[in-house]
Amino acid sequence: MRFIRAAASEVVGLFVGDWVQTLVSIGILALGWFVVSRIQVEGLAFVVALALAAQLVYATTLEAGARDRRG
Amino acid sequence: MYAQVLTFGAAFLGSAVESVEALTIVLAVGLTRGWRAPLYGTVVALVSLAVLVLVFGQLIVTRVPESTLKLIIGTLIVLFGLRWLHKAVLRSAGAMAMHDEDKSYAQTVSELEGAAAKQDWIGFTIALKGVFLEGLEVVFIVVAIGGTSGSLNIAVAGGLLAMIVVAGIGVVVRKPLARVPENTLKYAVGIILTSLGTFWAAEGMGAAWPLDFVSVLGIAAIYFGASRVAITLINRRQPVPA
Repeated sequence: MRFIRAAASEVVGLFVGDWVQTLVSIGILALGWFVVSRIQVEGLAFVVALALAAQLVYATTLEAGARDRRG
Repeated sequence: MYAQVLTFGAAFLGSAVESVEALTIVLAVGLTRGWRAPLYGTVVALVSLAVLVLVFGQLIVTRVPESTLKLIIGTLIVLFGLRWLHKAVLRSAGAMAMHDEDKSYAQTVSELEGAAAKQDWIGFTIALKGVFLEGLEVVFIVVAIGGTSGSLNIAVAGGLLAMIVVAGIGVVVRKPLARVPENTLKYAVGIILTSLGTFWAAEGMGAAWPLDFVSVLGIAAIYFGASRVAITLINRRQPVPA
């Protein structure tokens, strides 16, 4: 039972580290893909990549700051 | 061609990192309690992982329509890749401790010290659990990348080759592979996976990329640039002591 729980938590952990960050990423992806599917402009999806990249910078600096404060 | 090279590279590097971590656990059990039980545990774990690759790989390739596959698996690959990239950035900036194979080895050995010598199943269970859990990530990479790119065989070959190389080195050196630059490998795989996932997920929604697959290089440049910016910003906030 403990093994199954560990495996299940490992599977969730493949995609989720921090729930807020994961939800923000999913939100960016959902909004991005919605816009991309409506406006057929070549290369528009690069904007989604830029938004995800900005989110990566924000989330990592935020976590580093929190780790700093915890010592 | 580019897709196949990236598929092989991501599967090989991802599998290499996880194999190094699994090897540490198997070595810790084998060198302290004997080899029979951990080797059985390893074989059972590898067979279970192979079944997962076969079942999910076939399911994805034969049952899921291409656009749905690209959208759903692409999105999952983005989330998976961002997680690896996130950790790699924090480790590169010194905000998170590097994964230390020597420390993992010592931890596993100390877990085993409390167990009675006759209880061989403990060695079996620890090796099984360690190899299976580390291998789940490899299964995801191989199935997701291989299935979406239509090169499942190439992804499987990359994953298997890395496993064989790491196991071979482990048999020769018989100690944890602490010198393997795990963070750099995870950093590279994180960028490759996030870029491929973004490319495929957008294609799944009907987006057109300029120069088609070559755009993956542009996406990778965006994520790599962002990760360097993040590392610089974190380093500025926590100056390294002189």
